[in-house]
Amino acid sequence: MKRRSFLKGTLATGAAAVAVNAGLLTPSTVLAADWNAKAFGAKTTDDALNAVFGSANATASGDVQLKAPAIAENGAVTPVTVDASGIDGVESIAILASKNPMPMVCEYTFGAGAVGYVSTRIKMGETMNVIAVVNAGGKLLKAEQEVKVTIGGCGG
Amino acid sequence: MSIKIRMRGKSKGGVAEIKALIKHPMESGARMNKATGKPYPAKYIDMVEVSVNGTKAIDAQWSGAVSANPYMAVKVKANAGDEVKVSLKDNTGATGEDSIKLK
Repeated sequence: MKRRSFLKGTLATGAAAVAVNAGLLTPSTVLAADWNAKAFGAKTTDDALNAVFGSANATASGDVQLKAPAIAENGAVTPVTVDASGIDGVESIAILASKNPMPMVCEYTFGAGAVGYVSTRIKMGETMNVIAVVNAGGKLLKAEQEVKVTIGGCGG
Repeated sequence: MSIKIRMRGKSKGGVAEIKALIKHPMESGARMNKATGKPYPAKYIDMVEVSVNGTKAIDAQWSGAVSANPYMAVKVKANAGDEVKVSLKDNTGATGEDSIKLK
């Protein structure tokens, strides 16, 4: 009896292995191959910027217009607007929240048919800085602003 | 089940501001369910694409730190009559898309 169930078991796992080899069961990681898991999993803003742009060395620039509230009553919906339309050749914009467990919030890549402008709402766990980094022709420009959060947006 | 998107857009001088409101929980995977002591499973939109007349204009990657029921406003170079499409997917594989003809 034991031998029989043993055989059954090996046959079943064998079939599963064949299915994986034949590509019937694609591991889910393959689907998310484009998503920059390294950047979004980074624990510090520098690590995140390195993963996205290959450098964390961004210069503060007045051309990057970052609009965020000075005080966010509810950190779960902090409106953030980044306007870099005054800069030529904006390739991408990243928005980071400096003290979130994973600071990288979102990244936008712009093609020829777009203008360097993004407005969104982000979650912030506590009082911290919102950082907008703009990549224009390989140059990194940034703007930073502190947002005071009275009710946190992560967990609760 | 597809993700619901509501969008609006208007072209002015060759540039159109596209506003989209998306219905999605944006669960980061870090929020605890106090009743069970386990975190709510992650479910958030990770990829967003905006295209004009079928040509990709903006490619975005999001994390779970974008607010629930996300609001997004972007600007694309488009004129009245152009078709602007927003398509997205979340980390569980659910997708959604919507398109409008600019006025």
